[in-house]
Formats: sequence, C-alpha cells, structure tokens
Amino acid sequence: MRVTAEKKRETRRRIVEGARNLFNDKGFEQTTTRDIAEAAGIAAGTMFNYFPTKEALAMTIVDEALQEAGTEFEGRLRGDETLDEALFAHVAVGLRHLAPHRNYVGEVLETALSPFAREPVCEQAQEFRVSHLETVQELIASHGPPTIRTPSVMTMHLYWTLYLGVLSFWAADESPNREDTLVVLDESMRLFVGSLSPESENGREVTDVVDVTQNR
Amino acid sequence: MSSMSPRIAELIDALPVEPDEAVAPNAAFQGLLQELSHKQVPIGRLNRLWVLGTLQAKIAAAYFAWWLRGGYASADKRQRTLNETHLKAALKLLGGMSYLRGAIMKAGQIMATHPDVAPEQFADVLGHLHFEAPPMHFSLLREFVRSELGGDPEDVFDQFETRAFAAASLGQVHRARLKGTDQLVAIKVQYPNIGRTIRDDFRNLLALLTPMRLSGDWDNLKAQFEDIRHMLDLETDYEQEAENLRIARSAFTEDDGIVVPRVFPEVSTRRVLTMEYVGGLHLEKFLSTDPSQELRDQFGHKICVSVLRVQYSKKFVYADPQPGNYLFMPDGRLGFIDFGSCHFQSDEDIECLADAERAYLGSSPEAVRKTYVRGGDLTPKQAADDTRLKMYGQWADWAWEPVVHEGPFDFGDRDYFRRGASLYGELIRRRYMRSRPSNTWLIKCIYGLRAMLAHLKARVDLGAIFREENTVSHGQDA
Ligand SMILES: Nc1ncnc2c1ncn2[C@@H]1O[C@H](COP(=O)(O)OP(=O)(O)OP(=O)(O)O)[C@@H](O)[C@H]1O
Repeated sequence: MRVTAEKKRETRRRIVEGARNLFNDKGFEQTTTRDIAEAAGIAAGTMFNYFPTKEALAMTIVDEALQEAGTEFEGRLRGDETLDEALFAHVAVGLRHLAPHRNYVGEVLETALSPFAREPVCEQAQEFRVSHLETVQELIASHGPPTIRTPSVMTMHLYWTLYLGVLSFWAADESPNREDTLVVLDESMRLFVGSLSPESENGREVTDVVDVTQNR
Repeated sequence: MSSMSPRIAELIDALPVEPDEAVAPNAAFQGLLQELSHKQVPIGRLNRLWVLGTLQAKIAAAYFAWWLRGGYASADKRQRTLNETHLKAALKLLGGMSYLRGAIMKAGQIMATHPDVAPEQFADVLGHLHFEAPPMHFSLLREFVRSELGGDPEDVFDQFETRAFAAASLGQVHRARLKGTDQLVAIKVQYPNIGRTIRDDFRNLLALLTPMRLSGDWDNLKAQFEDIRHMLDLETDYEQEAENLRIARSAFTEDDGIVVPRVFPEVSTRRVLTMEYVGGLHLEKFLSTDPSQELRDQFGHKICVSVLRVQYSKKFVYADPQPGNYLFMPDGRLGFIDFGSCHFQSDEDIECLADAERAYLGSSPEAVRKTYVRGGDLTPKQAADDTRLKMYGQWADWAWEPVVHEGPFDFGDRDYFRRGASLYGELIRRRYMRSRPSNTWLIKCIYGLRAMLAHLKARVDLGAIFREENTVSHGQDA
C-alpha cells in the first residue's frame, strides 16, 4: 500500500516534469497528452488517472509556482503597506514565480481562466481563482479603507477583470525586463483601489511615499 | 478668477497677433478656456491624469496656444485651419503628459499672478522641464531594482530605507549603506518605462508641431526643441549621468571644499544610480538657519567655482545651477550633485565663446558685434537689425557686470537681478532668443547662477574666480 502511494507520487512528478519541458519547448497547444505520457514513460490511458485534461495538468504547474509565490508574499508583508501596494505585491510576486513558464503560460491561462467560460474549465483553475480572490478579500479587509471591509460581487469582478488584463499584458510584454508590466500593474491596482471608495479615489498621495519637504 | 482676468488680458494683448485676430483676443482666450474645460480625458494610457484640469494649467495651455498662433497668424486660411487642428491635438497630447503636471501648473500660476514678468519665467519653467514621476511604493521599487540589479534592495544593500527621502524628477531617491561597509549611499531609482514614455510623447509633440509651418524663428526653435529632446535622452540615462559625475568629480580637490558624489558603478545601471550620500541642506532650509553673511559669501564663492571649473576644465556647461542641485553641508563644504543635464561643448563652441570673451574684454565694438552674429547664428537680415544687436549688447553688459566689477560683487542687489530678469523677458517677447544651441545652455547657466546667488544674497568676487578658472580665453588675453 505504502509503495503504491509513493510510486504514484513519483509518476505524478514525472508527468509534471515532462509536461513542463514539453510546454516550454513546443508550447501548450502543440503539446499532446500522448507526448506527455511518452515523456513520462506511461501509457496515455494512465495519464488520465492523474490529470483528466491537459489544462488541469498545466494549471497544476501554475498552481505549484503560485504556491511558492504565496509563501514568499506572506513572508514579505510588513503590515504597513497601503492597499494598492499590498495588492501589487501579491500579483508581482506571483508573476515573478510564473516567469520561467512565461513561454506557454499565456495560452494556458487564456483557456483555463477564460472570462467567457460558462463553467470552470478544470478544478484547478477554479481553485486558483477562488484562492486568489480570497487573498484579495483578506487584503482588502486588512489594508483597505474602513468603509469597505466586505467588497461586493461587482467589486471582485472588476478586480478579476483587471487581473486577467495584467496577466495577458505580462504574457506578451516585450519591454526590457518587462518593466511595462510593472507600470500596468501599478496603475491597475491604483485604479481598483480608487474604485473602492470615494476617499481613496487617487490611490496614494505623493506624501505617502516621499518626504517632499526634503526636496526643493 | 475675476481678479486675474484683466492682467491675463493684458498679457494676451501684449502678444504679437495680426490685426484681424487682435480685435478680440480676450474673447478668443475665453473661448479657448471654455473649450479646454470641455475636453475629455484622453484614453491613451491607462489611468493617466488629465494634466490640464486646473485653472492654472489651462492658463498655461492657453498661453502656449497663443504663442503658437502668433507664429502662424499671417498664414492663409486653409493653413490656419490645419494648424488649429494640430494645435488641438498637441494640447490633447500635452494634457496626457502627467509627468509635466507640476511644471505646467507652475507656469500657469506664475502667469496668472505676474503676467508682467511671465514670459521669461515661463520659459524658465519650461527650460527646466521639471518632470514628476508617480511615486513608487516599496513593492514596486523592489521588483524594479530586482530586475535592474539582480537582487532585492534589502539584499543588495544594507539598511535600505523603504521610504524615499527625496523626489527626483524621473523617480525617487532612497538611502542605504553599501553592503558590508559604512558607506552611506543615495540610490536614485527611475520609475519604470518613464524615459521611453517621455521620449515618445516629445516625438509625437514635435510631429504635431512640425507641419504647422510657423513663421519667424521656427526653424531655430525647432533646432532648440531637438536639442531639448537630446537633453531628455541624456537625462533619462543614468549611466551617462554617472559618467558626467565621474568627470566632474575629477575637477575638484579636497581644498576646493566642493563635493561631487562618487558613483558606485557595480550597483548602478541606466535606471538606478548609486552614489555617495551627501548630507546637507537645500538652499531654502539653509537660509532658514539664518546663516551669517560671511558663510553665505563663502558658499556663493564655491557655487561660482563649481560652475566655472566644470566649464573651463571639463567643457561642461552646467545648465542647471538651481537650488535642488546644491547641498549646503554642515562643515562648510558644498555638495554639487545633479549632472543629469550637462551640455558638452564642442571645440567650436569653446572657440566661439572664447572669441566672445576676448572681444568683450578687449572692448572693440566691431569685434563684439561679430560675435553676436556668430553666436546668435543670425541671418544677414537679423544681423542688420540694430534693436536686436542693441539688446544683445545690454544682455552681455548685464551678464559681464559682476565679472568686470572690481572686488566682490553683491548678487543680493535686487535691482541688478531685476534688470536681468526684464531683459531676459524682453528677449523672449521679441523672439530674439535665437542662437546656437550651446548658447541656450550657457544662457540658462548664466541666468540660473545669478538667480541662485541673488537668493543666497552672496557677495562674490566673480572677476577673480573668472581669471583663476578661465584658462581658455583669459590665459591668452592676460
Ligand atoms: N548623492 C546624494 N546625496 C544626498 N542627497 C541626494 C544625492 N543625490 C540626490 N539627492 C537628493 O535627491 C534630490 C533629487 O536628486 P537629483 O537632483 O539628482 O534628481 P533629478 O532627477 O535630477 O531631479 P531634478 O531634475 O529635480 O534636479 C536632490 O535634490 C537631493 O535632495
């Protein structure tokens, strides 16, 4: 019994590894489940016992990367951030951990997280969405304006739309070190925070960050 | 609003316009204001601030529009209509340049309250092109520094302060210690992508203004505009600034008491500049400590040496001697910090200037006249314009006054500065500012230096410093 569990884990790892390399080399669309099974040295049918779809497999890879990111993010949180900074950091750290998969992750997310999908493409995608939004809600509760502790469905929808926008921008960003993504992310998060309550319309003020009296 | 309107009307009346347009400048101005206030926020970039939202900014924009219109007032109707379309687009573009918000508002404010001195100060504001990047919170800064320096700021440096201690025009400045040392450093970090944004915007602005076929000195202005663009390129490149700092630093010895911060290239890039931290006060704060006349004179002396030294020994025109770029250190030394906007003189520039200096000091009117024609890059027609040459003469007299003066010159003399300011304004009003691009920087330098010293109310023997530092024309002349 114990051996089987270990063996299973081992097989699963081989599948994930193989898929990661194949996605990277050939892209997500071009890679077939048959290719992955071959690379992992198993029968195509066996694959489905582990991952019902290619999307589920890819989202597992994404999820693993984002879990590491989540740990880093939490360790870094100082507590005195403004809400837009906290939201920025949450996404930015995630993107950094996804960077090694950037070649294909856009395609994966496009399918898995499509806003047009009537129902979740796969369980992993749904889990990813739920856990990401939960973190956002927690951040709003801990860092947001006192008037907005429980954001509305519309608010969260706006957030998700902005987030997907940032993801798609990032996936295609050709600027040096993808610096443009940082700007789009910064502006998106400020826009979002600005929409939360009238008082925080302009996001943070210059004085929040810079002691202007020091200079001229 | 009502109290400023008449003065603005005066300002507009004073602008050069054709008779048919001059009938109702005030009405036209009001119309433009109205139109501006109904303009929509441009959609270009996500969440860009609409810069022309405030009244001050609208006044500045209206002034800009009037100034441009003055340049094509005599064009035919078709061309004028076309120009109006371009003008509208240019204003729209300007409205999206959020990093110019402060500069534009300041210009408008000055014009709203002092239309009589407005033109020169307006040009001054635009001349400094003071940008304002949006502030960065630490998480953004960290991601950016990480991609620039290959590690988190907390790891690359010791005691990295998460809050910026000063704003820079394209970003912000943080304090830290060099890893494993006691060396305090100032780390200037550019807002991501701002350099490219500014360059693109200015390229577009020029593209809109070019087909307007403005009359008069437009070609020369365009050349100067190109020069400003070139300057922007330099200013957005911290590697260039680091190189300038290195050169400037080598011009001073410990005895000079002038500190140009050392650069640490191993932790610097094009967008991150790490330098030795210079602890000191800016001019305003320094003055608020009520310093003695003696101390002010000593600092004034150092400021003059700083500018002339880099000019004559390193071929730099320090175009920006303004309060933000000097730090008054508690031990009496002067921190000389910002080398983002330095103009390198070509051999021809230097020769041209040396000729002018020799001619002026040799007091031969004919030789002086020749240097105006050459330095001003004048057409034969312009060279025959006596009023123009007379004004150049007055400006030169003003600029030279402290140099030819025997002994220390009192820069705090309000009358001296006021004369210069009104001359400068008059030159701009008459559109006499045409000149070799290098002169533009020189004029900014001369004017900026005197403005600084006036503020400091310092008495400085500029003649003696000039004779000491100017090895180019003076050496041969003495
Ligand atoms: N080496 C330094 N030591 C101490 N303070 C510094 C140093 N460099 C910069 N600063 C501080 O940061 C401010 C902005 O720096 P700097 O003038 O170099 O930036 P800038 O982008 O060129 O801004 P501006 O165009 O407004 O002058 C300075 O006025 C000063 O207060």
